[in-house]
Amino acid sequence: MKSLIQIMLTIVIVCGLLSFAASRLEAGSSAGGKGTLVVYNWGEYIDPALINQFEKETGIKVIYETYDSNEAMLTKIRQGGTSYDVVVPSEYTIETMIKEDLLIEINHSKISNLKNIDPFFLDLPFDPKNKYSIPYFWGTVGVVYNPNKIPEYLTFESWDDLWDPALKDKVFLVDGAREVIGMGLNSLGYSLNSRNDKELREAVEKLKQLNGNVKAIIGDEITPLMINNEATVAVTFSGQAADMMFENEELNYAVPSEGSNLWFDNMVIPKTSANVEGAHKFINFMLDAEVAAQNTDYVGYAIPNKAAWELLDDEVVNDERFYPREESRTNLEVYENLGLELLGKYNEYFLEFKMSLK
Amino acid sequence: MRSQLTTSAKVFLAIVFVILYAPIFYLIFYSFNSGGSMGSFEGFTLEHYQAVFDDNRLLVILINTVIVALLSALIATIIGTLGAVGIVSLKDNKLRNIVLSLNNILIVSPDVVIGASFLILFTMIGVKLGFTSVLISHIAFSIPIVVLMVLPKILEMNTNLIDAALDLGANRRDVLTRVIVPYIKPGILAGFFMALTYSLDDFAVTFFVTGNGFSTLSVEIYSMARAGISLTVNAISGLVFIVTIAIVVMYYFITMRSKKTEGSIQ
Repeated sequence: MKSLIQIMLTIVIVCGLLSFAASRLEAGSSAGGKGTLVVYNWGEYIDPALINQFEKETGIKVIYETYDSNEAMLTKIRQGGTSYDVVVPSEYTIETMIKEDLLIEINHSKISNLKNIDPFFLDLPFDPKNKYSIPYFWGTVGVVYNPNKIPEYLTFESWDDLWDPALKDKVFLVDGAREVIGMGLNSLGYSLNSRNDKELREAVEKLKQLNGNVKAIIGDEITPLMINNEATVAVTFSGQAADMMFENEELNYAVPSEGSNLWFDNMVIPKTSANVEGAHKFINFMLDAEVAAQNTDYVGYAIPNKAAWELLDDEVVNDERFYPREESRTNLEVYENLGLELLGKYNEYFLEFKMSLK
Repeated sequence: MRSQLTTSAKVFLAIVFVILYAPIFYLIFYSFNSGGSMGSFEGFTLEHYQAVFDDNRLLVILINTVIVALLSALIATIIGTLGAVGIVSLKDNKLRNIVLSLNNILIVSPDVVIGASFLILFTMIGVKLGFTSVLISHIAFSIPIVVLMVLPKILEMNTNLIDAALDLGANRRDVLTRVIVPYIKPGILAGFFMALTYSLDDFAVTFFVTGNGFSTLSVEIYSMARAGISLTVNAISGLVFIVTIAIVVMYYFITMRSKKTEGSIQ
């Protein structure tokens, strides 16, 4: 009995010491305020060295947290009880957040580096005049493929190449209703924001003919599969494609010419922010040409910062696969917020397509 | 009585162990890879371990996981042991069987169901998700395991020992602390360590009841792995493996010691 009590006491003491250590490590991270800035961003979406640089330059301590989906982030911010100062949602989520009155208007006079941003990425329909958001990264949806493993004539200049019989059991699709239905609509020459039921119907019927070619519909798991050459063709986001191509040089990426999605991740300041001043400083810091260039080198996504383009390797910026020229950008569309009802319809059609796969 | 293993039995044993341990060692081996992925081994480096120790958040999660495991195992062991003693002392056979079955159902039922029902319960009664909710649920799913580990030891005990102690003037409390508990100590220790490992590696239940910035290692590794497995995950897994081995070694020494002291009394 005595030895059992000894063990018990030891455990309690160890727990006490551990929780003390944890609280020391965590010190300050729970309290947002003047001296600290809480940044809430996607995983692997910033060069950590830049956070240190920002801390040194401004004396503000940055607490960095990450999320893996717009929805998860949105829930946390809606619930309250958090004090995130800078968040980086995608454009359709920004629209929702503006509607729900979750964001603070950004004071443009404090963002002097805003002039670095290419005008193409400003004043977009989801946030007119950039009242609430400042561009961070952008990209497209397209096809990443391994040219050595498929017939040469398949270059994915057109979405129709995905329907080629040579790709039997080789195509992986991203698991998103907007992306997949949008691809079906684009391949027929329709807008990927189509509100026309007949067009949607047609798109689904066409998608169903992909039946034999689709191997799986998956999410982030596609990255390792493509890197290890276990998958040949995948419909995915440009940033993810860039990651894959960095690891596996055989791969190539194409945005079909009929059109595709153009997406943006922008920086915003939630209403719950406890350090609005610091948040502006951070946003302005990230727009600095040198900082943006360094960040792009690390993250691998396309940056909307035209001052940074001059600092980046020509090879990167002139890579039309990731920085499409203005002419070809006209075929790219930004997702519009379709409203709950129509979005439900997209989801329903997507489900129907999924169920039709054998 | 010591029977010699035949050659084929040894080969079989070797194959089974290789299959069980190969993936773990493969994972740990690549945690030292200086190349960025599991694709090819390029050179030795400790940078992934460095990355783990540089990341305060990850360290806090690691410490939290250990605290939850230790505390939940401790509390579950206390409750579970008392529960086992209580179950044995039930005179009514039918009732005892019912209670035992209820206990076993909790072990058999899927973690996902337990996790989801805890989530519903906690949100209903207004417990904020975080340390408390994780601790309570871990205690809850560990108790049946402890009961199951302790029960055989009590059943094995000669009830005359209790009668003898009572005859010699021991009160009920003395009987529990001086007769029953020392006798079933190996069972209690086994229960504690089982609860510890269950808590350390639980994912399904924890996944439902974590929140507000509190997270445990298994949940964190899951969300890290969604964005492609980086070698940091390998490094953490390596560290956890070392912790597990330490626990096994500790268990071995504690049971060895108590066996020795038992022997010396006799």
